[in-house]
Amino acid sequence: MSNFYHMPVLPKPDAKKVTINVDGADVEVPEGTNLVEALKTIGIDTPHFCYHQDLPVSGNCRQCMVETDGPRGMGLAIACYTPVRAGMKVATDRSSDKVKQARQAVMEFQLANHPLDCPICDKAGECSLQDNYMAAGRHESRMREDIGKLYKGSPEFRHEDAKGQERGGKHVDLGPTVILDQERCILCDRCVRFMRSVAGEEQLYINQRGDHAFLSTFPGMELKHDYDLNVTDICPVGALTGKHFRFRQRVWNLSKTETIDPFDSLGANITVEHNDGQAWRIMPRRNPEVNKSWISNRTRLEYQKLSKDRLTAGSFQKAEVPLAQAVARAGELVRGARKVAVVASGTLTLEDNAALQALVAGLDKKAELFSGSWAKVGSPDGIAQSGDPVGNRLGLKLLGISENLDELVARAKEFDVLLVAGHDLWALDAQKAKALEAIPERIVLSPWHDATTAKATLSVGVRAWAEVRGTMVNCQGRIQMLNAAPILPSPDLEPVWQVVSSIGKLGWTSELDAYKAAQAGIPALAGINYRGIGSQGRLLEGVVA
Amino acid sequence: MARIVPRTEMTLVEKAYIPEIARGLKVTMGHFLKGFFKPESIPVKHYPEVEPFVPRDYRSRHRLMKRPDGEPRCVACFMCATACPANCMTIEATSSDDDRIEKKPSKFEIDQLVCVFCGLCVEACPVDAIRMDTKKMAFAADKRETFKVGLEDLMDWDPKDYPESDIQSQKAPGGTLNAQARKEWGLQ
Amino acid sequence: MIEFDLPFILQCAKFLLAFVPLCFIPILIWGERRGASLIQDRLGPNRANIPLLGGLRLFGLVQNAPDGIKLFTKESFIPKHAHKFWYIVAPMIPLCIAFLTPSVIPWFAPMAVEGAKGIANVSGQILDADAGVLVLFALSGLSVYGVVLGAWASNSKYALMGGMRASAMMISYEVSMGLSVAGIFLIVGSFSLTNIVEWQAAHVWGIVAQPLGFVMFLTSLFAETGRAPFDVAEGDSEIVAGYFLEYSAIRFGLYYMGEYAHIAIASALVSTVFLGGYHMPWLGTEVIRANLGLVGGGLLAAIALLCIWIAYASNRWSNIYAKMNATDAAQRKLEYRVMTGLFSGLAVLLLVAGSALALFVHPQQVSVGGTEIWPLWVNLGTAAIQLGIVVAKTLFICWVFIWVRWTLPRFRYDQVMGLGWKILLNIALVNLLVTAVVAKLVKG
Repeated sequence: MSNFYHMPVLPKPDAKKVTINVDGADVEVPEGTNLVEALKTIGIDTPHFCYHQDLPVSGNCRQCMVETDGPRGMGLAIACYTPVRAGMKVATDRSSDKVKQARQAVMEFQLANHPLDCPICDKAGECSLQDNYMAAGRHESRMREDIGKLYKGSPEFRHEDAKGQERGGKHVDLGPTVILDQERCILCDRCVRFMRSVAGEEQLYINQRGDHAFLSTFPGMELKHDYDLNVTDICPVGALTGKHFRFRQRVWNLSKTETIDPFDSLGANITVEHNDGQAWRIMPRRNPEVNKSWISNRTRLEYQKLSKDRLTAGSFQKAEVPLAQAVARAGELVRGARKVAVVASGTLTLEDNAALQALVAGLDKKAELFSGSWAKVGSPDGIAQSGDPVGNRLGLKLLGISENLDELVARAKEFDVLLVAGHDLWALDAQKAKALEAIPERIVLSPWHDATTAKATLSVGVRAWAEVRGTMVNCQGRIQMLNAAPILPSPDLEPVWQVVSSIGKLGWTSELDAYKAAQAGIPALAGINYRGIGSQGRLLEGVVA
Repeated sequence: MARIVPRTEMTLVEKAYIPEIARGLKVTMGHFLKGFFKPESIPVKHYPEVEPFVPRDYRSRHRLMKRPDGEPRCVACFMCATACPANCMTIEATSSDDDRIEKKPSKFEIDQLVCVFCGLCVEACPVDAIRMDTKKMAFAADKRETFKVGLEDLMDWDPKDYPESDIQSQKAPGGTLNAQARKEWGLQ
Repeated sequence: MIEFDLPFILQCAKFLLAFVPLCFIPILIWGERRGASLIQDRLGPNRANIPLLGGLRLFGLVQNAPDGIKLFTKESFIPKHAHKFWYIVAPMIPLCIAFLTPSVIPWFAPMAVEGAKGIANVSGQILDADAGVLVLFALSGLSVYGVVLGAWASNSKYALMGGMRASAMMISYEVSMGLSVAGIFLIVGSFSLTNIVEWQAAHVWGIVAQPLGFVMFLTSLFAETGRAPFDVAEGDSEIVAGYFLEYSAIRFGLYYMGEYAHIAIASALVSTVFLGGYHMPWLGTEVIRANLGLVGGGLLAAIALLCIWIAYASNRWSNIYAKMNATDAAQRKLEYRVMTGLFSGLAVLLLVAGSALALFVHPQQVSVGGTEIWPLWVNLGTAAIQLGIVVAKTLFICWVFIWVRWTLPRFRYDQVMGLGWKILLNIALVNLLVTAVVAKLVKG
């Protein structure tokens, strides 16, 4: 296969439409798009393996064949690389037996030497071979039992199992995060294209040719990249699987909650997949404007932190107290203090920060609001991260909260109560944070036991990012929704805005009250409610990124 | 359309009741004497000393089938747990050390109090790892937790209790075809 | 002056006979449960055993012991609003009556014994009164009190309803009960049961002389004792247990035992009045006395035959059970072997004893003060044999009680009262009239 492929032309909302004839009916489709995408806009799904919307088109699987008209009449052509032409005639499987047979034949070829691994394969339930077999295949097996399946691939990993069956490489360790099963690979080339075009480092390649082709890394090298787990998403079968999720859960048991990654200001769209009160994995959500279909490994493995070191109760003078008691004590301290320093956080939602703002406003001269982050800001990698670990920086700016954390460090002695929410100050820069230890009462609202709660005089457990419903504004000026997954380690935990509301006696009962307060402070949010934000976020007008 | 049920009037003899009493007494005495002199004609089964007749396909307590080396045949594919209409199976999978197997269960628990004994798990299993043919129907315990049977309890069966014609059972450790199975598996 | 001579001692010893119906109770309970089960094509209780020699089950007789223990050890409570005194006293009444009523039943023929003042006549009844049967009827009537007081003292609607129904039924059937035996009294001319038996010995059995009277008397007795098909008092499906609803443990046990004792006495009464009592067709009192050895030997031989049959049946069942592949096969085999051996040995023993009796026992009359009387041992032996005869006949009628209970369905309450007042009473009166006419015509 050559190394240069074109990206597919995806339909844009304001594209010009042309008329084509599909199955005898005239339809309007966007001009110049690949036929797969054009048929999708009119509701016809074409089965495919190697085609991916965000990867260059390779066209090697031949599953997506439809009949189109050519100089010699109607003939089979792959839909993924055929651009739409005005007046073309297309016959899908709805009207053409040839297409049906072609798709069935391709399925038969794909399944001929594919191992019978469904019971032990992690991809079961989201496997393209399974889905396409049900949609387009359903052929009767013509395998000869005396010969069975063959594997002519990698000679290093080829072996025979106990029943004399030829097997390929099982659980081949490709690198620190990904495991390869060579037999299952259908040589669709998606992972190779991803690493080459999207990740930028070509670490996988397909050796040999024809029947002997197999996937592997370069000799002596491994698959190691900040985005390498994306190959497990795009692999249509269970050839490439992630070590973190291996054998842990079956995908049909998982429920999905759509949210975004708060630890990067691009706000990659993700789905937290959970079952039985526990998060099992994070999968990317497709958002062509934000992160396409990709998320970094760091984002993907965030779910592991949700169940470790969680602060589920309050802690006061080194003793554990029930949450309600801790919140009440925090309220007393804050309202009765001489001067309170409240530190807002860019990893918290707009609602949480609006609550902190309202708390400070309610306390008038006695409280001051600070914000900022000592985290290092990197540069965008062009895939799914902007490099800025503060997810809601633009949101804080829109709320009018200035970044003046260093001023707090300088003036620490003026305050007698410090309220920190969602901010691991002592872990980011212990030297600067040491100055804050001059403040006698340090209240910390944090989901985890971390360095900051260790230095706190009163810490209150709160919900983590995946358990709250709220909004964040990403670095593009897009407001995106976070949704709550039912994975609370303890049922008493409350979101930050609710704890702050109890401390400041704001009387808020739902995040909508907090959002209304945020709306009041941000004119760009006028008229946008949660439903208006939707699952793809919404670009705010008049916001400079 | 109403159905007319014919109601016959009682004859004079029946109305008098005494002859009917005599007839009834004859019937009961007949039963009594038959039971008294031929007690084997009484259709009473001396349970639990005498084993009751259990049909071949009766769905009783589950058992997990074993490979010739004693490991469970189960590959933790979750088909049974997904098919179960009562949601009574809790399975956790882990990697197997045996290269040929890949996946095995680290925890396999069935809550017998929740199980409705429908047999769907047996039908769903792709490798004949679970069966419901132990013919054990009466289990009693004094704590609810005892009814959650785990991997060891489900594999706790003796091949001698199963018919010789059941090839798959007899291949298990201790079975009569064990030697043959071990040769097939290369465990000599 | 009370003379402590032989007649006096015998009179005192006769008081023990009042316990006969009490001894019937476990037999009746066992017979009811096993008999009912066999009628219903099932085995009755057969698991309670004496844990010796494989677990001796004794065909279910042992079940009475755990039943009794259960009744004694259960919680005996008094409901909150019950009338405490009558609640406690009421169950005692039927059982006390059960001790009093056997006093007028002749258990054996009157015997002549030598006393301090010459020959004295010791009758078979404890209470040798002219108004024999009337005493029994009167005492039976008193047992209604037990029912009514128990029902009312329970302070429960179901109990009260059951009690009212039971008492109304018992009282109404006492009338037809009395009238149906009035025929026999007319023929015999006396109320004393010994006279009735003597008349039957001389003429024909009561059932031959008064067949209609027998049927009516039996029916009335079914109602009197509250047995099916007249068990409206304890109709389980209608009023949940009726008058002994609120009673538990031994209080219920007292009612239960009282009911069975009542059945035993009723059966004894029927066998005395209609089935000849202690008299057997060719074995009159004098015949037995003269041939005590032969009769005794024959009786023992008959019992030996019964034992042989029991041994054979045990062995046969043992073989059948062995083929069933049971888990307790070894224990059962041992037990049945013990039973077979026991009863065979018993049979041999009895045969030997019987032959010894027949061969070596030849009673002779002795002369005392001029009159020829039999020696005491002859009298006692005859009394024992005659007691056995009465018990056998009573057992037969008890079996009829059980048999009828498990054959006939319960009557409705209005049917019960209608039967008692409208049918039985009239037929009894007609029967009495016809008997009187016939008796006058025959006797003159």
